Amino acid sequence: MDNVENHSQQSGPMRTLQIVSRVAAGVLGGWSFTWGFVVLGIALALAAGMPYADAQTLLYLVAFLVYLVVFCWSFAAASIARVWLVLLGGGAAMTGLGWWMARLQAV
Amino acid sequence: MFSTFRLSMTWLHTWFGLVLGYVLIVVFFFGSLSVFDREIDRWAIPETRFAPQPMPSFDTMLAPIFARMAPEPDELKAAAARVKGPLPATLAPMNWGAYTTHRDPVLSLYAEYAVPNNPADPDDHVHGHATLDPRNGRLLPDDQLKIGSEFFYPMHYGLNLAWKDLGYWIVGFAALVMLAALVSGVVIHRRLFRELFTFRPRKHVQRSTLDLHNLTGVVALPFHFMFALTGLTVFASIYLPVSETLLKPQAVAAAMADAAAKGLPFKPAGVQAPLASVDAMVVEAKRRWAARGMPGEVGYLYVNHVGDRNSTVTLYRAGSDRVTLVGQPIHFEGSTGRVLLEEPSPSAVASVNDFLTGLHLQHFEHWLLRWFYVFGGLCGCACIATGFIFFVEKRKRQHAKAGTGGARWADAVAVATVTGMLVATLAILVANRLLPADLAQRGDWEKAAFWGAWVLAAAHALWRSAPVRDARLSSAWAEQCSAVAALAFAAVALNWITTGDHLVRTLAERFWPVAGLDLALLVVGMIAGAAALALRRRAGAAIAKSDPAASTVDAAEAANA
Amino acid sequence: MPEALLLAAALLFSAGGIAWLALAMEVHWQQAHGSATGPGRRTATALRVLGGAALLASLVACLVADHATMAVLVWVMSLAASALLVALTLAWRPRWLAWLAPWARRA
Repeated sequence: MDNVENHSQQSGPMRTLQIVSRVAAGVLGGWSFTWGFVVLGIALALAAGMPYADAQTLLYLVAFLVYLVVFCWSFAAASIARVWLVLLGGGAAMTGLGWWMARLQAV
Repeated sequence: MFSTFRLSMTWLHTWFGLVLGYVLIVVFFFGSLSVFDREIDRWAIPETRFAPQPMPSFDTMLAPIFARMAPEPDELKAAAARVKGPLPATLAPMNWGAYTTHRDPVLSLYAEYAVPNNPADPDDHVHGHATLDPRNGRLLPDDQLKIGSEFFYPMHYGLNLAWKDLGYWIVGFAALVMLAALVSGVVIHRRLFRELFTFRPRKHVQRSTLDLHNLTGVVALPFHFMFALTGLTVFASIYLPVSETLLKPQAVAAAMADAAAKGLPFKPAGVQAPLASVDAMVVEAKRRWAARGMPGEVGYLYVNHVGDRNSTVTLYRAGSDRVTLVGQPIHFEGSTGRVLLEEPSPSAVASVNDFLTGLHLQHFEHWLLRWFYVFGGLCGCACIATGFIFFVEKRKRQHAKAGTGGARWADAVAVATVTGMLVATLAILVANRLLPADLAQRGDWEKAAFWGAWVLAAAHALWRSAPVRDARLSSAWAEQCSAVAALAFAAVALNWITTGDHLVRTLAERFWPVAGLDLALLVVGMIAGAAALALRRRAGAAIAKSDPAASTVDAAEAANA
Repeated sequence: MPEALLLAAALLFSAGGIAWLALAMEVHWQQAHGSATGPGRRTATALRVLGGAALLASLVACLVADHATMAVLVWVMSLAASALLVALTLAWRPRWLAWLAPWARRA
């Protein structure tokens, strides 16, 4: 991605698309990443023997700090493609892994 | 897209701050008002202007009232449409609740009634509620809007926009953006510690506005951060409903295991049994709390499976002596009064959560800390408002030269949000005093006054924003400040005229809820009036300066930045 | 000691402490004394020690007055209020702060 040019040199629809992409990544990608983080986190906590209510409470306490970090990263990162990959891909992976682990736990 | 980290954070701060700032200032302002929501209720409902009372006797006062309570008529009508066949003449009550705080003179009573024959939802129920004067058991009319706790407070966490939880989502997103704005603000503000006390009001508007923006943001930075974060965690199950979806089997299994471990009956037995003396249970609960080193009053009383052999009475302590939300419930067997379970101290995780939630929801009794919360909230409002003003000031000259209207619209929406919000808030208080006492649906008329006033203020802001196109100050600011001052003084006067509780009397009687609000209204009126005068003077000076010589003044000011 | 008195003392210590810390900074010392020179290394250190001690005293007063969790919150918020107060004083009546360093000679 451009590290050299001043951002205002790009104009028109290309820049609008980039902005929309960044915002969508930050908001929606961030949300899906946070969701996956919470699901995987709860599953790991359950596996470690924590009661469900405590696991949920703990993950909720950290979830929005995670969301904050990935949200800011969506704008700071050089490559928007990498942002989408990490947030959507990572979110999906964590969700899948967490769900699978939790099912193993279930009586 | 951005060549440096700092540039990306600047973009984030500017644009998300601008767009969500309009929502955030509403959240912060009504949050500040909500610190004293129950005191505002006293001002708005003169019949409740007496001192807070502890929970009265259940057996002698509450039980007969619960027996006479009925479901809300409009909920009954909606339920009739949902069920197969006609609704029975009376619905059986499922549970009863009574709630009071150290700030409430009146008691709130709630009930849920089972709705049978709903094929879609076997747990379908409707609600009833009543408000009670605990000194004599008199019921208060229910169409009196509790302007503080039932309008300003829901405005704070949901913008009074209940449709599909849309308000919660908007406020939640705004809270996330607040966190990002704080972090990005710190990144942009290179000299955070060196300029901690820097405020240069005599410099030109852009510089002094930015100084004030930085000051109000940094000085209460921990406050702003913690409130945005805890606001999000309080409603986390709305934003990330994993337990209702993906992890529902695990969540339900854990809840049922918990209930079984506690030994509390999950369902009614279907056998009738009378309720034992709840007053005796209250005495026992207080004894146990005192024995654990946390003496207190009952804050919330809950009777489950009303009239059944499996009924339980749960008593929660009113946690007003510390920050943490201490519920410490004790469960009693309804038919015998025997203690079923005294809930143990919460786990470490739960304790941390209770502390953080308690920090936000402030059930504690500490007047200085409450006023500090208002101070923090108003700092947040000032930070956001100065953010808007800085945005507009920075761009209006460029936009005026280029002929684009962006700055003008940003300014108009800023006026509509900042002063318009004040106008609406005062309008509902004025309407509260002006509307006839026996008007049907009085609460709805009051809400209409609020929204109507805001719409008018927004229209006025748009109409008067033309000068911004030419890089001058919109006259809407001064005009709305004058309106705010007039409304604030009118509200105080109307309180005196309609209730006789003027400031001299309320101060002499030390009735702080009404005296405090009247004083606050006077202060608001004076500040708004002074602001209106100052703005008119500045506009007058600007007109006197608006000749070719002005451009050299601008250049000199820009050089000083 | 009644709670109101303790809290009043806590507020005074907090405001004084913050003001001393502000005076230790060169630009604010100059504002308060109308001088072209700063406080000098020894005076600045003394001011910082004084300021820190006052803030500590404020915290102690808060802790005596209230339950620990509320006391800490009261103290943190009093720091914020004091910082704003000091900033506004420096903006409009900076000379008033000179009274807090009476041993320094005015320029």
